[in-house]
Amino acid sequence: MSTVRLASITKNYGATQAVHEIDLDVADGEFVTLLGPSGCGKTTTLRMIAGLVEPTGGRVFFDDQDVTFLPPRARNIGFVFQTPALFPHLSVADNVGFGLSVKRAKKPAIAARVEEMLALVGLTGYGARLPAQMSGGQQQRVALARVLATDPRVLLFDEPLSALDRNLRDTLKYSILDLQRRTAKTAIYVTHDQSEAFAISDRIVVMNAGQVEQIGTQMEIYLNPRTEFVAEFIGANNGLAGTVTGIEGVGEAARTIVASGELVLRCRSVALSPFGVGDSVIAYLRPEDVVVLQDGEAAEFENLVEGTIERVIFEGPTAQIRVDVGGRQLRADVSGSRRLSFPEGRGRVRLGFNDLTLIQAEPTNPAEPAGPADPAEPTGATGA
Amino acid sequence: MTADVAPAIPTTRTPAPARRPLLNTRRLTDVLSHAYIWLCLIVFVLPFLALLGYSFTGPGGTRPAQNFAYVVSSFGDNLLWSLKISALTLVINVAVSLPAAYAIVRQSFPGKRLLFSVLTLPLYVPGAVIGISLVLTYNFTYHLTTSMWGLVLAMSLGTFPLMLTPLVVALKDLPIVFEEAAECLGATRWQTYRRIVLPLIGPGLSAGLLLCFIIVFNEYLVTLFVHPPGLTTAPLRVFNQIRTAGLSPTTAALAVTMQLISFAAVLLFFRLFGTRHLKGTYLL
Repeated sequence: MSTVRLASITKNYGATQAVHEIDLDVADGEFVTLLGPSGCGKTTTLRMIAGLVEPTGGRVFFDDQDVTFLPPRARNIGFVFQTPALFPHLSVADNVGFGLSVKRAKKPAIAARVEEMLALVGLTGYGARLPAQMSGGQQQRVALARVLATDPRVLLFDEPLSALDRNLRDTLKYSILDLQRRTAKTAIYVTHDQSEAFAISDRIVVMNAGQVEQIGTQMEIYLNPRTEFVAEFIGANNGLAGTVTGIEGVGEAARTIVASGELVLRCRSVALSPFGVGDSVIAYLRPEDVVVLQDGEAAEFENLVEGTIERVIFEGPTAQIRVDVGGRQLRADVSGSRRLSFPEGRGRVRLGFNDLTLIQAEPTNPAEPAGPADPAEPTGATGA
Repeated sequence: MTADVAPAIPTTRTPAPARRPLLNTRRLTDVLSHAYIWLCLIVFVLPFLALLGYSFTGPGGTRPAQNFAYVVSSFGDNLLWSLKISALTLVINVAVSLPAAYAIVRQSFPGKRLLFSVLTLPLYVPGAVIGISLVLTYNFTYHLTTSMWGLVLAMSLGTFPLMLTPLVVALKDLPIVFEEAAECLGATRWQTYRRIVLPLIGPGLSAGLLLCFIIVFNEYLVTLFVHPPGLTTAPLRVFNQIRTAGLSPTTAALAVTMQLISFAAVLLFFRLFGTRHLKGTYLL
């Protein structure tokens, strides 16, 4: 219905900077997700778009209209909160019709719109109930109907599924996407759940410490993370800190040679990351890109290292193999029938891999990080 | 409670005779707590029963009904004044406390907690002190001759914290997300306040109204100081009656009538406000 543009929007709470100079362009009808850990400023950003929080600096535009200092009621937005926040003293129908009745719409018009909206979210016939008589999932659907009833310019979601149980989350996230597609509304969605973000977004904005780390499609941020944070926050990753020792070849065959401890890694050179000899870098390696080779198996890989199996974690569809390579732990995810062929034990294996992503090491913490980015992170976090 | 329940689980699992003494302790606790409740009832209700009994006796062979007929004919005015004063006080209290409570809970300003403490101060000031200071203020500062409004304001001054406190508590318990949701749906501040906030703090409002009504309707001491000539509320009349005519059955009849009106008001209140507003709020 409307484009949304943030121009170096900033929010300070006293001395703490919650959001720092965020720029974002959301196209008409696009579904953009703000993804980040708790406290990264994603909710504050969303609330500034809604007008619930007044920015310290910067501007918010809907189409070409500057709405930075308009109150929420003048912005014509649909905000879905973490809790359904249905008015407990009003019936479901009165809740859905609230936005129209405060605009002094005629009663028959409201009733018709309420019916239409309840049908849209699959709750026809529930109008007379009180919110307390409905389940959490139904309540959140009523909340959706309630914001859609006013035909808002922009839909804003603040972790709307986080209070629901897992199965319900899975079905409801596709309902949200479906409703957004059918109504062709611009949507901005806040979540800390990667699988949710990956499932429903056109584009994902990865945020950390009040700043945007990377904006891109699922594939862009997963396959080509630009920063250390994105590489480690999205999915599981093996990070190997090292130094560039040389460049080989040109064009497609160009390889950057990185020395990381005893390991010498040959990494594909992406044009947008031209590194020079002596640069401190971190080479990132996805666990699913590592092939675990047992004795004698022949293979052609650009990199081949040897190690000892430390742990095997069976996770259902995949098995996580933790391999000690020269004192560093590398994680390899094995799927298919091969996942069953690694008994727990201290067997010797070779690891073969081609694709390493190089990222400039941040000067502030040069000693970081070695081994799996987040050992506690279960696989499949980026699934779906 | 928990100490009572906890031993019950082992007893059901192992019906061993060794558990018997425990059961006896519990039975003893039961008997004692029932005895305590009955004792309380007797201690608190007995004076009213005595009063009721006395109001039906007649000195010199008058019939009990005559006492009450006398009350209705002679004290009607006083009761009416009491009700009128109470109603006006409630209106003023609500008008003052609702915005004040909202500001105290939802706005942040320097000295907020100090202000709230100062506002609740009248609760700790003795009635006689309020009475004297009001007489001084009315007569020498504002040069007001005492009027009905003087009395109403005096009542309001002494009781509005009783309205304010439950409202503040109710508002603090109300998640702000309801107001935000209403605002995002296009409601103005006033619409949000009237259609969302007010119904949801109903329990606090009704508690405040009830407390204020009971206190104001039965207030005697402050009234004694600031009542205008010719305006005698029911409690004042009871006291005057005792002072002049002694403890007569008609005085007792008036006291009983006042008691019944208070009691009926409370019941009516719970019928009208208490249950209706508690139903369907987020509290349940």
